[in-house]
Amino acid sequence: MSAQRSARRRAKDALLGYALVLPSLVVFGVFVFYPFVKNFSLALHRTPPFPGLPKKYVGLDQVKDVLSSSEFHKSLRITIEFVMLTVPVGIVLGLLLAVLAHKQLRGMGIYRTIFSSTVATSVAAASVIFWTLFNPQIGLVTYWMGRSGDLGVLEDPKTALIAVAVTTVWQNIGLSFILMSAGLQGVPDDLYEAAAVDGADGARRFWHVTLPMLSPTLFFSAVVGSIMAFQAFGQIDILTRGGPDDATNVLVYSIYEDVFRAGNDGVAAVKAIALFVIVLILTIVQLRVAERRVSYAR
Amino acid sequence: MTRTRRSAKRTVVLSAVAAALALGVVPLGAGSAGAQAAKCPVKALASAKGPVEITMWHSMNRANEDALKALTDRYNASQSAVKVNLLNTTSYEDTFTKFRAGLGSGNLPDIVQLEDTSLQGVIDSQSVVPIGACIKADKYPTDAFIPRVLDYYTVQNTLYGMPFNVSNPVFYYNKQAFQKAGLDPEKPPKTLDEVRAAAQKIVTSGAAKTGYSIKLDPWYLEQWLAKAGKPYVNNGNGRAKRATGVEFDTKVGQEIFAWLDSMVDDKLALNTGPPEGNVDNLLAIGADNAAMTIDTSASLGTILGVLGGGQFPNVTIGVAPMPGPVGKGGVLVGGAALFIPKASSPERQAAAWDYIKFLNTAESQAQWSVGTGYSPNREDALDEPVLQAAWAKTPEYRVAYDQLVSGVNNIATAGPVIGPYREVRAEVENALTRMLTQGLDPKTALKDAATKADEEISSYNARVS
Amino acid sequence: MPADPVVPTARRDRRRRIVRLAGRYLLLSVLALIVLFPIYITVVNSLLRPDQIASRPPGLFPTDPQWGAYKEAWEGGHIGRYMLNSAIVTTGIMVGQVLLAILAAYAFAFLEFPGRGFLFVVFLTTMMIPFEVVFFTNYQTIADLGLLNTYGGLILPFLATGFGAFLLRQAFLTVPGELRDAAALDGYGHWRFLWRVAVPLARPTVAALSVFAFLSAWGQYLWPLIVTDDDRARTVQVGLAQLRREALNDINVTFAGVVLASIPLVILLLAFQRQLVRGLTAGAVKG
Repeated sequence: MSAQRSARRRAKDALLGYALVLPSLVVFGVFVFYPFVKNFSLALHRTPPFPGLPKKYVGLDQVKDVLSSSEFHKSLRITIEFVMLTVPVGIVLGLLLAVLAHKQLRGMGIYRTIFSSTVATSVAAASVIFWTLFNPQIGLVTYWMGRSGDLGVLEDPKTALIAVAVTTVWQNIGLSFILMSAGLQGVPDDLYEAAAVDGADGARRFWHVTLPMLSPTLFFSAVVGSIMAFQAFGQIDILTRGGPDDATNVLVYSIYEDVFRAGNDGVAAVKAIALFVIVLILTIVQLRVAERRVSYAR
Repeated sequence: MTRTRRSAKRTVVLSAVAAALALGVVPLGAGSAGAQAAKCPVKALASAKGPVEITMWHSMNRANEDALKALTDRYNASQSAVKVNLLNTTSYEDTFTKFRAGLGSGNLPDIVQLEDTSLQGVIDSQSVVPIGACIKADKYPTDAFIPRVLDYYTVQNTLYGMPFNVSNPVFYYNKQAFQKAGLDPEKPPKTLDEVRAAAQKIVTSGAAKTGYSIKLDPWYLEQWLAKAGKPYVNNGNGRAKRATGVEFDTKVGQEIFAWLDSMVDDKLALNTGPPEGNVDNLLAIGADNAAMTIDTSASLGTILGVLGGGQFPNVTIGVAPMPGPVGKGGVLVGGAALFIPKASSPERQAAAWDYIKFLNTAESQAQWSVGTGYSPNREDALDEPVLQAAWAKTPEYRVAYDQLVSGVNNIATAGPVIGPYREVRAEVENALTRMLTQGLDPKTALKDAATKADEEISSYNARVS
Repeated sequence: MPADPVVPTARRDRRRRIVRLAGRYLLLSVLALIVLFPIYITVVNSLLRPDQIASRPPGLFPTDPQWGAYKEAWEGGHIGRYMLNSAIVTTGIMVGQVLLAILAAYAFAFLEFPGRGFLFVVFLTTMMIPFEVVFFTNYQTIADLGLLNTYGGLILPFLATGFGAFLLRQAFLTVPGELRDAAALDGYGHWRFLWRVAVPLARPTVAALSVFAFLSAWGQYLWPLIVTDDDRARTVQVGLAQLRREALNDINVTFAGVVLASIPLVILLLAFQRQLVRGLTAGAVKG
């Protein structure tokens, strides 16, 4: 092939390359980067409750106000509490179920299907189900707790977040089980045999073989699970609407209310940036540790 | 990095930031100040060529939606100048959100039904043609209307919206439980003390687990203060001037909070939580966990249907005026009103006004009331046979209307006008929750609510000035 | 294996093993009951009458199943319409995401162009910006484009995925160089190579990505909630929430709605379990 023709071919390839990534880039530009940048502009303005009225540039005053407000601190604390309530429990439960169901025994398939089944429920479906179970007048869970006709679990600030967490953990069990099972399958059998030869019993095998081999999966689940938990919204909207007394007013929910109920985009933007920073830190942590693991494995 | 590359990078970043700022700073949608001298082009309909199609956004559901559709079908069939299309936008909150978004994007209806609490917000949005202007331009007679109903939507002498569906809170109670407790089922309690006494008897006799189920709706605080003849916010309840602070942290307010607290503490009442999507206070009566509650007259039909429908053989529902503090006051108007956005063309505004007039004839209001349980907004609707027959058959429907026309008409019963109404209510609700579930004492709870509500009002006012 | 045991020890060992086995089955069954219970009660309650649901002690088995709740949920509760909307939107997102990811991944894996590395990093950074950080501005954009209450408004923001492009690029990079050379010799242009060679070889990844996209799109709640405010394009997740809020007393209808809305996912779980697992674990294995 002549040099000219190959140069033309390279140019055509390059154009094709740009053309193929262009659709994605356009979508990213409009729906990821533009709104992300706009947050910084919004954060610096006190936005009016209605379009058409003037915005007011206030510099960092609004940022300072929001970040130091007790409302924001409470929301952040609630969100972190929520993550702490759902992520570790979810992983432990998923691991427990996966370990129990990992044996090649009769009927294990049925148990495995049951344990994965919550993948078939969406956040909304699970929330609707549990809203009824927690209903103070007719809920079964309320009845079993002996609280029928008393203050509902979802109406009591002391228990509302836990109830939302229970709903979330249940809905995530399927996913957690599948992830842990997949991780367990990745543990080579000869490692177990070697441990058995060394005289290790079940418990020791678990702590010294299974867990270390599983640690990438565990770590991944923890980080991704936390990121997902920081973004929780649907279950809050259906179960408690952020109440009672803001007891379940997680960050994303308070952003939603700022925009759609109070028309306060400026405040929402500050909180959105805060959320971004948190998720970014978690993502960097995950990437760093994953990198190190890979280099160790090598 | 070399200097040229750094400055090139900076230029790119700066331009991007500038672009973003520019996009953010330029307000979308029209916005001109000054609602004075607003004009309502009522004559434009006559000169329109062909039928004018208009859209109304509403949040009437179930039976209420059916009643609205029936009225609208009649209107559409009775004339050919205007065709009305209804769009159900689910709930008052969603409708307001959609309306606010529409102010920016231009997607607006020709009539929008907005909740009573949206009044100051609508005024601040500077986006509607005041109904008062249409009344003036059309020389529309308004003396048949219930004064309190028009007063509610009048701020600084301008009537902004046309009240359409009018409700207020009424007292629902289980007559069977009253009988079991040795109370006269035809003499329901009228004051908070009487409610407490009745609750005591109900609990002692075992007729129900508690006497009264509390729906934690701040609306009731507003209503009770109005019954006591007290304003809720300052500056003439927000009507003489924009409200800058609340006024419910007073003796009456403290009495109400203390009453609620002691009822729950003494296990005479059950807290069934915040009002959104919540009918637990009614279900509690069905489950004999309570025997009395207060709820909106707007749900009367549904409540009678569910609680009286036979699924709960232990319940016979009675409806009575809302008990509360005694004073020179009365119940507040609740419900929603119809507003005409400025953005519509003159023909469509005129068409909207014509449809609104239809919805507010005595005949229509009678039919509307019969089909829904909302009170008619004009007194001569009572002359309509269909209403008289319905009320003779089910006198419970009268209760809300009678409340509306009784008592005194003053600044307290005109109702509060608050910009960040939702946020103020949220603070009251939070304070009530803390008082009833975390052991906060009533005085502090009320003071908390007032302080936080004042903060919400000042930050809202800062954003609109 | 340990040395030959003495006979009495063997019997003790076997007994211990049976006890352990029974214990495992018992524990498994208890846990399975707990996990399954909410689903079970949903199905049961969808077949009961409201007064049976509220009765104490609670009815745990429908002796007289009432199927009417399903019809009421489908029609009166509009679940039928909402499921159609969800199906359209979810399919649109799934197809769009996979398609755009395939195209971008092909470019990153097989084509050379200046700035390729930089653009790939751009794709990766989109994974660091969660949707919840940008959703309200996206709402404004969609509103300004007049796409509220439309399928387009529900699909458009999700057409591109950095994760998908990353995964598929990974898969495409495993295509052996000889295969490319052979295809080039056979006169395969890029288009044919992509669809006849690369994609078929990456089929497991494509399938996994598709299932993952379907699952997350079907379960979306926040975006459909704010983009739709009437029945035209409302999806079933928001429909379920609405059904619950409007259900004064007919909880059975609400539960029937939940069952109906879960059917597609159940089918997905049963028919595509392997791809599902693969899709969900794609990141974990790599990590």
